[in-house]
Amino acid sequence: MTVRGLAKDHQTSVKRPADFDDFWAAIDRELAATQLDPVMEPVPHRSTEAVEVFEIGYTSLDGVRIAGWYCRPREGWADAPYPGLSIVPGYVSEPTLPKSWAKLGYAAIGVAPRGKLRSNAQFNPGYPGLLVHNIVDRNTYSYRGFYADALRAIDFLLQRPEVDPTRIGVHGSSQGGALTLVSAALRRDVVTCGAAGAPYLAGFMDCAALTHSYPYEEINEYLRLYPEREEAVRATLEYFDCINMASLITCPMLIYVGHADDVVPPETGYDLVKVMPGAVELNAYDRCGHDAGNFWEMANVERFLAKHLRPALANTGLHAQRTEG
Amino acid sequence: MSTPHTLPQPIATAPTDLDAFWDDLDAELAAIPPALELEHLPLHSTDHSDAYRARFTSIGPYRIEAFLSVPHGDGPFPALLLAPGYASVVVPPSYDDRMRYVAMSLRYRGTRGADKPYAAKFPGFLTDGIEDPRAWKIRGMLADALRALEVLVAQPQVDRERVAITGPDTGVIVAARRPGVSALAVTAPLFYRLADLYPRTEAYPFEEINDHLRAFPEAKAGIDRTLSYVDPLHHAARVTCDTLVSVGDPGAVNGPEWLAPFVQSLGGAVEQYAQTHEGQTDYDAVDRWLAQQQGVGPRPRTWQPQDIGPWSATRPATPYEDAWL
Repeated sequence: MTVRGLAKDHQTSVKRPADFDDFWAAIDRELAATQLDPVMEPVPHRSTEAVEVFEIGYTSLDGVRIAGWYCRPREGWADAPYPGLSIVPGYVSEPTLPKSWAKLGYAAIGVAPRGKLRSNAQFNPGYPGLLVHNIVDRNTYSYRGFYADALRAIDFLLQRPEVDPTRIGVHGSSQGGALTLVSAALRRDVVTCGAAGAPYLAGFMDCAALTHSYPYEEINEYLRLYPEREEAVRATLEYFDCINMASLITCPMLIYVGHADDVVPPETGYDLVKVMPGAVELNAYDRCGHDAGNFWEMANVERFLAKHLRPALANTGLHAQRTEG
Repeated sequence: MSTPHTLPQPIATAPTDLDAFWDDLDAELAAIPPALELEHLPLHSTDHSDAYRARFTSIGPYRIEAFLSVPHGDGPFPALLLAPGYASVVVPPSYDDRMRYVAMSLRYRGTRGADKPYAAKFPGFLTDGIEDPRAWKIRGMLADALRALEVLVAQPQVDRERVAITGPDTGVIVAARRPGVSALAVTAPLFYRLADLYPRTEAYPFEEINDHLRAFPEAKAGIDRTLSYVDPLHHAARVTCDTLVSVGDPGAVNGPEWLAPFVQSLGGAVEQYAQTHEGQTDYDAVDRWLAQQQGVGPRPRTWQPQDIGPWSATRPATPYEDAWL
């Protein structure tokens, strides 16, 4: 029986395309030229004495309308300005209503990138399917728009008058961990810190080779049918690989992984940390899988975000709902 | 799920017409032929198994969908139904399950793949029609789960002496209402004592009920009555197969005290597994129990060698040890 090496010793096969920065700069220019057109509709029955809930929408790349939830403390529960917090979703989960984060004093957005419910009228590759949609073409690959939608969530927070633009955080697990890294990299001028659990979309091809679990199994399935497309697939994915994003991240980051994660192999968590130039706290949990030790780690996440974002009601005994990938 | 409040005894009592409610549903199902269509899916098939999109009809009539996977070989094979959870996206059974079982994951009404004409909202599905147990969308979801088991067991490759269900407590109702289930693993509560739980939590999806009651406070009695029809507590005595119940920490709402009335009501042999919160340790424990019940080998995820495809730069050299197949 082959024994897998230690995760920390893994060597990534990811290469950085020479025009990686140009590719994303062009997308950023497209986004900048697109009006955000934000809308906010109050949702009274999901609001509480502590938190106001809004259903929101905004325009992202290619004119796609993106939905989400926005939760902020009520005046009197906590006073503005609030730190902004983008809670980004996992691959198959729908965006959370981040009420528990708002109760802690954050103005929190839970975004539904394209393809998620309420954001799938114009783009709907399905599940499974998202990961391999147009995977041989970087200019139409699913995550080109999907990443942009997460960046627009930061833009949404920044245009809110009650949000302090000097305190913007991002948090999520699995795909949410990936979107945390993408946001911290491509909005590095405004993102204060990020907490990423079991970060997905890092070392795509290495991961696909290390697991049979979905979503990476989508790549294995695709290449079983079309083995001749391997190089084209690899070439596309390098533009979207969070290992290539990670070298752009300068804000403090918290990353946590499960050493027995079959969904996102932990090797690539270590690969990420090796190339991150800023301060990184890495917490790894033996025998934990895609949960990445969140039973214990959520306290660290809350503490880390509170340290850098200073919400009004940190350390008051309130806690956020545990983040799932 | 934590929240170590004072743990009361169950407030929900079985409705007097519980049997009539479920007998009526069974009669509705019996009157509608499943009209099964199987579509082979080369993309999701593997060296060990063939994948199918199964489309069939449930009450309504409503056309639903499932992933069905059949191992290669002569069979018969043990069957495994993945009990439906609360999520908009249902993925195929795991690679490991597809190697050993005729495995099915259900896309119940409202979820992706079965979202026409009814597209469930998440959040929102849990409370859709909740004030009338016969109009509640969850009734349809559970009917779909019952129909899924019928379709699974009817497959010619299935060994009808070895039919297992695993997943959240929706599986309890299926095992209670259909003969021939030989093993049941209950990994998480969803509907168990929900009338006791929702007033004590702000966590979604249960918070959906609190949201609904903010808009319609007069609906509480009706909602509690609706929930009682699907409470596994009232179905447990009809479950006569071997059952594994995953149990949380003492004092927690899925802890031994909270689950004791359920465990004591089950009609068959019961084992309890104390969760460690290490995701893969807990996964492997359930997998091992199911495998033993079903007469196949366990597939522990902590760790095993992988042999997936020729595109792996880090590919281990040794293939699976699958002599037990």
